[in-house]
Amino acid sequence: MKLKRRKRTVPQETIVSLIDVIFFLLVFFMMVGRMDATAPFDVAPPISLAGTDMPQGGTTISVAEDGRLALDGVELAEADLLDGIRSQLVNDPDLFVRINAHGRARLQKLLPLVSKLERVGVPDVVLVVTPNPE
Amino acid sequence: MKIARRQRNTALITLTPLVDVMLILLVFFMVTSTYLDLDMMPMVERGENPDQIAPNSGTDGATTLLIQVNANGEARLRGQTLTPAALSEALRANPDARVLILPSGFADVQSLVSVIEAATAAGVTNLRVVRLEAAE
Repeated sequence: MKLKRRKRTVPQETIVSLIDVIFFLLVFFMMVGRMDATAPFDVAPPISLAGTDMPQGGTTISVAEDGRLALDGVELAEADLLDGIRSQLVNDPDLFVRINAHGRARLQKLLPLVSKLERVGVPDVVLVVTPNPE
Repeated sequence: MKIARRQRNTALITLTPLVDVMLILLVFFMVTSTYLDLDMMPMVERGENPDQIAPNSGTDGATTLLIQVNANGEARLRGQTLTPAALSEALRANPDARVLILPSGFADVQSLVSVIEAATAAGVTNLRVVRLEAAE
């Protein structure tokens, strides 16, 4: 008697669960991450546990250890940076400005900059700090 | 003669390109993102009048304390150099005081932040950073 060989059935692999996981991870990274221009130089913000949560949005001024300045990732001279802030204020009078200064940057650079931003009319200026040293 | 009705072919939507695109996006976000734990300290607050910063403008009779930060980042209160912990302890006795911080321009940002942190830990809420400016 000739036995009939059973046809080998290829199990169908469903990729729906894979899509679910990828989509979940994608949404997670998009939600928890804040897209922000990185400074063109190294900035290690000062360490403090007294900081409060930072809101989204706004513009970022970076201050390097040697006093160089950048606005939203573009290195600029102070006058050009203030011009950039002025033009942003025209569109958004409630502009929120973050100063991401290096912990070892001198205050003789930072404090006059804060005063100038205040005079330009920026209503909210905050200093970025981190609770965790890198 | 009976004409057989043609079976309608249902269009098969393949999900493979969608998975590819999502995987690329996922890898992009994972690779390009740097996750930093960042907080903030207010420097200029909405509605704040810079003229109020003058030390003699207080009308509520609260004590005003001046903390100086020298070029080495050391804090001095009433002529005494204090560590951040000692400064916090000294301010804790008078948390309602109006605290002015006068840092040297040669001090670094970290030293100012440490003084603010010490004052905040002591419960000080009326805190301002002042600086000397050449008269125009």
